[in-house]
Amino acid sequence: MQYLIQLLISGLAIGAIYGLIAMGFAVIYKSTGLVNFAQGEMTMITAYIAWTISTTVSGNVFVVAVGAILAAVLLGLVIERLVMRPMLGEPVFATVMVTIGLAVILRSAINFIWDAYPHGLDIGMGRGIVHLGGIGVRTGQIAVIVTLLALLAAIWAFFRYSKVGVAMRAVAADDRTALLMGISATKVHALAWAASSVIAGIGGVFFALSYDLSPAMFQLGLKAFPATILGGLDAVLGSGLGGLLIGITENLAGGYVGSGMKEVAGFAMIIVVLMIRPFGIFGERDIERV
Amino acid sequence: MRTGDYMQSYGELVALVDSPPVWLWSAVLLLALIAAPHLLNSYALSFLMIILITVTGALGLNILTGYTGLISLGHVGFLVTGAYAYAVLVSKYHMPPLVGFLGAGVVPALASLIVGAPSLRLKGLYLAITTLAFSFIINTVILEMRWLTNGARGIQVQRPEILGISFDSDAAFTYLCLAFAALTLFATLNIRRSRVGRAFVAIRDNDTAARVMGINLHAYKLFAFVTSAFITGIAGALYGIYLSFVSVEGFPFLLSIEALAILIVGGLGSALGAVLGTVLIVLLPEATRLLFSLFSAQMDATFTTGAQELKSMLYGLVIILFLRFQPRGLVGAWHDIKRTWVHWPLRY
Repeated sequence: MQYLIQLLISGLAIGAIYGLIAMGFAVIYKSTGLVNFAQGEMTMITAYIAWTISTTVSGNVFVVAVGAILAAVLLGLVIERLVMRPMLGEPVFATVMVTIGLAVILRSAINFIWDAYPHGLDIGMGRGIVHLGGIGVRTGQIAVIVTLLALLAAIWAFFRYSKVGVAMRAVAADDRTALLMGISATKVHALAWAASSVIAGIGGVFFALSYDLSPAMFQLGLKAFPATILGGLDAVLGSGLGGLLIGITENLAGGYVGSGMKEVAGFAMIIVVLMIRPFGIFGERDIERV
Repeated sequence: MRTGDYMQSYGELVALVDSPPVWLWSAVLLLALIAAPHLLNSYALSFLMIILITVTGALGLNILTGYTGLISLGHVGFLVTGAYAYAVLVSKYHMPPLVGFLGAGVVPALASLIVGAPSLRLKGLYLAITTLAFSFIINTVILEMRWLTNGARGIQVQRPEILGISFDSDAAFTYLCLAFAALTLFATLNIRRSRVGRAFVAIRDNDTAARVMGINLHAYKLFAFVTSAFITGIAGALYGIYLSFVSVEGFPFLLSIEALAILIVGGLGSALGAVLGTVLIVLLPEATRLLFSLFSAQMDATFTTGAQELKSMLYGLVIILFLRFQPRGLVGAWHDIKRTWVHWPLRY
């Protein structure tokens, strides 16, 4: 029982990180209709920038947080402006391949700029251990779960009530009609990239806090795929929850079946889910016309 | 020089090559390739081997992604399955290499049925991610099946001896690769002009319309998966022999991306494109290295320390630039040049 609860809690914690990155995928998919294969790399860059700030400027929590968020916004905007905007109107396959190219560039750029060794992100918190009913939990793990839930609520409210959120939904649903209604699609795309970069970046920083920073972090992006697919590519909230589900499944598979299964439990799960619902659990079915 | 497609009958539409001079140039190229192993030094020969092996694999992916329009991000899964099938059959159970090659084709083809069947309902990005999932699952399966695959330790592979001919030397092995590459090229060109190939292209261009025309989507998609996996598996076996060692690490996920990059750079859906793309992508890092060393020793030093990183950055950049400025790839560029040449000084 103790073992099960331990697995569930650490599953939730890693799942919350997957959930954050998966939300990053979904935000971009929802407003631009493409899967950003560079999400894991963007997550990683934000975490590395946070680490650089903490070691060179100041280890203060707020300085690091603000710096990392600003950097993530800038990264999202630059990528949108330089790489994605010229591809507007091209087929989806081409734009998705561009993000794959981007992922390759970012990944090697990280190895090139920083080094290939793991680093610990130390900002004086997140590594302390709290005992909940006899089970030790890191404060960073609690914080990431809370952050995910708070962001889920905030994003739900944003898409439901704010004018910008409604505009984003409009562009996602039908960009031409949205343009006719006076919504600037390019602004919405830029906003989506910035938002996605920040949300995923938060996930990256939390990962670096609880575990370590290393060039293998881009695999978080691959791990978050099952979460997004499970939730449905166009369901932002579903993706967040999908992350939790994948995290728990992975940990249970790793704990009870074998460590090899841990790596692929999520992938095995999406193949099963997609066979039953080819558009994810919370996703909307596309209706196509010839 | 001919510039466009001037077809007057259905027979011309499905001809293997579109004009007689192409036969001549193909023959010249073939002779050059046959002479190459005796003229090149071993360093250049290793590039030739890699190009020939990669062409085989790229042509395999081209059937699935180029012809049928099913994006696969997990083709390295078929590559590694083929390599292991060969290694297990030949090195572990001492079967003749020909049986090994057959197995290297058949085993990935069977695996592709397993991944293809659930993928029939999926399209576009969902399919791409399922194939990605497949390549990770196959890696884990290989690592777990230790009794068969030696797990993470890998399997040593010898250069084969087929029908009494030893392919131990580099030159001989290049001929083997050349034979496979030429055979694959011939086979894929023929598939493209057959009834099956036209059905593939119809599915790529509009699957709903293709279905209305009476094309059995499921059967043809599965057929595309199986053919593609068969060819890719054989390329995997050749690559395993080239490395003389088969392990999961020898087939990194980046190879899947590289294969897609080759198709894009060459021109999606064209066999000629797959060949041109392979030559460009394989030689790109070497060409850049030469260029850098021409400029200064300083830059050369940077390149040596960060060589791997710069090489991958270059891949990414080339993919993006081609998609942005020449989405039809090198083949498209070639068509543009031909048109400009004939119509000059008029633009169209």
